[in-house]
Amino acid sequence: MHFLKYHLLLLFMLFNSAISFGQQDLEKELVMPANKHEKVMATFKSTKLINGHTNETIYKHELDFKVDHRFGDIAGSNGGIRKFFGLDNSTDVRIGFEYGVTDRLSIGLARAKGANSVQQLYEGSLKFRLLEQTIDDHIPVAVTLFGSNTIAGVEASKDLTSATAYRGFTDRMNYVAQVIFARKINSNLSVTLSPGYVHRNFTAFRDQNDLFTLGAGARAKISKRMAVVVDYYLPFRNSDDQAYLEQLNGFKFYNPLGVGLEMETGGHVFHLNFTNATAIEEMQYLPETTTSWLKGQYRWGFSISRRFSFDRAKK
Amino acid sequence: MVLLLYTVQAQAQQLWSSQKAAVSFFSSTVMEDIEAKSASGSSVLDGQTGTIVFKVANTSFQFKKKLMQEHFNENYMESEKYPYTTFKGKLKDLPDLSKNGTYLLAFEGNLNLHGVTKVYQGNVNLVVANGVLSAKSTFKIRIADHEIKIPTLVFKNIAEYVEVRIVAQYLPKSSI
Repeated sequence: MHFLKYHLLLLFMLFNSAISFGQQDLEKELVMPANKHEKVMATFKSTKLINGHTNETIYKHELDFKVDHRFGDIAGSNGGIRKFFGLDNSTDVRIGFEYGVTDRLSIGLARAKGANSVQQLYEGSLKFRLLEQTIDDHIPVAVTLFGSNTIAGVEASKDLTSATAYRGFTDRMNYVAQVIFARKINSNLSVTLSPGYVHRNFTAFRDQNDLFTLGAGARAKISKRMAVVVDYYLPFRNSDDQAYLEQLNGFKFYNPLGVGLEMETGGHVFHLNFTNATAIEEMQYLPETTTSWLKGQYRWGFSISRRFSFDRAKK
Repeated sequence: MVLLLYTVQAQAQQLWSSQKAAVSFFSSTVMEDIEAKSASGSSVLDGQTGTIVFKVANTSFQFKKKLMQEHFNENYMESEKYPYTTFKGKLKDLPDLSKNGTYLLAFEGNLNLHGVTKVYQGNVNLVVANGVLSAKSTFKIRIADHEIKIPTLVFKNIAEYVEVRIVAQYLPKSSI
């Protein structure tokens, strides 16, 4: 019995060794490690598109320094050659820092001028990646939570109907919460959809303290390091209050729309964009955009972001 | 009898397989030292002909700086388009792998990296000890050879030649 087994085995061995493995056959013998729901990287290149946030956060121990600028109206009654197409004015400026506590949680601190009467803004924010899209579509959509508190430092107004007639410190606080859904459809196209909520502790008379919003954005690569970015936000206003404010102030509310070009050079991300929104902070451009693309009230804007890493490479 | 069977089997063993092989690379310039490591290399070696295939997923490389890892996959390797780096070649003058010993072998073959195939030659340090093969190799890759473009802004941070180190352990591939 043993003898027979031995012979059979030997025969098999001989047969086996007679086969010469070519490189193609050999490659079939490779055992590759199973990809356990590998995460999609770089859905977007920056934490923001133009006005709104993307699902991206800052990696652990990295710091993002970001400067945003919005100029005056390019065209319309406030623009044109006399205002050098808006470059004479600056509607808003923001300087912000974001730091990655973990790969999934970022904290942010920023100072913005503020575009309307509510000025001298200090923003603290938290951004958390709840879900990350995976390559095998085990998780098809990334979900990131964003929350911010913006405090207005501006001197309180004595006009009781104004947006800055603050009676105490808490009146100066404004909150924004957003759930950002994002999907990298392919290596060239990523999209976001972000329902959100804005609460302002104090507003102008009959302006809404609470507002639901919906945002959508996209990034389409036109070359390896350049992309077209666009985002649009829809605030859901109470029509009575909207009509009252529009009649009283002689303006109309518009939805913020931004279109821009994104350039990426290892470590820096530049945005050159056009938007009708004058403000940069969410709590301001979402409820208070009264400038329209169709009236020439859109502006140049740019943002520069630079990443610093604090993980010292061991030598 | 059982022992005899075992020795017969070991001698006739043709294929050697390596999983979780370590692949790392270094780029060193005055500005910055960059290092990335993967522990997910896979390889198969034909113990009789010396034919060898080595494959590693580009996304398996881990960097100290995560943003660098993102740039590596997105901008340089284009891992979505070219997910794997593969070497197919031959180890020359392969010794009898059933006997313990230390050997320095020459290799030659094609490396497909970033969709561009180039011929590489080098040496492998091979240790055979009780049915386990330990292989080590170091060679240099010229980034420009594989059509990986470095933007002028970070040109000084990334070396022209990147040193690759491979450490792999091969076990007999059970083919019965």
